[in-house]
Amino acid sequence: MAASLDDLSFKLVIPSQTRYLNLVTNLARRASLAVGLDDATAAKVSIAVDEAVTNIILHAYQNDPNQIVEVELRFASGSLEIHLWHTGQGLREDQITLPDPNEYIRRPRKGGLGLLLMSRFMDEVHFLKNGDRNECCMIKRLE
Amino acid sequence: MADLSIQLRELDGASVIEPIGFINAHTVKHFESALEDLVTAGHYNILINCARLNYISSAGLGAIMGQIEIIRENGGDIMLSNLQTSVFTIFDTLGFTQLYRVFDQEESALSAFASARKS
Repeated sequence: MAASLDDLSFKLVIPSQTRYLNLVTNLARRASLAVGLDDATAAKVSIAVDEAVTNIILHAYQNDPNQIVEVELRFASGSLEIHLWHTGQGLREDQITLPDPNEYIRRPRKGGLGLLLMSRFMDEVHFLKNGDRNECCMIKRLE
Repeated sequence: MADLSIQLRELDGASVIEPIGFINAHTVKHFESALEDLVTAGHYNILINCARLNYISSAGLGAIMGQIEIIRENGGDIMLSNLQTSVFTIFDTLGFTQLYRVFDQEESALSAFASARKS
């Protein structure tokens, strides 16, 4: 029941390897359903988490398989929070420019879509830094 | 069961590629290789039947985008069919439904390829 989950959190630590993506995205999907989000919204949360963890593995850690990604799911009052921590190269919010979908259609290219999906599918996406730890925080509000 | 398997079929005038499972940054190489092999072999009319594709991330969309230029330069196209709702949402959110023709059924897409050949 959603109400009993308030203020609970779960943490998962994975090696920085894409083989673990499905484990994390399945967890995010199940957590979304547990807080009462519908199937379609849970799928969107799952994709946003996939994109965020992929960015950390491929870009922040530049495919170094010997690092770790910490994933925390927090069942906050009125929202599901997903926190991802890593010690690779961090993104700064003021340096992020999301691709313009219309421009993308005019000039298709291969990359740059993950952040756009994250921003479209989640209510809030933040990139934070605390010492040598970088955090991507994504929030989905419960309607 | 493997995370992703690929079935290929050669039909009249089009190659049908059917990804089964999910496409993310881990499995995308398999999908990308299948697409590249078709293009390298000169198959430029490609239908991606997504009936059994449960999930695709931007890595998979990038793989499609990586081949479309050479395919269209050679007079072909990539079309999509049988998208599950969650997969359609991803394609639509990123504007791919404006870049690629999407059909409910494989037969409709094959007819569109046939019409394109006649015109």
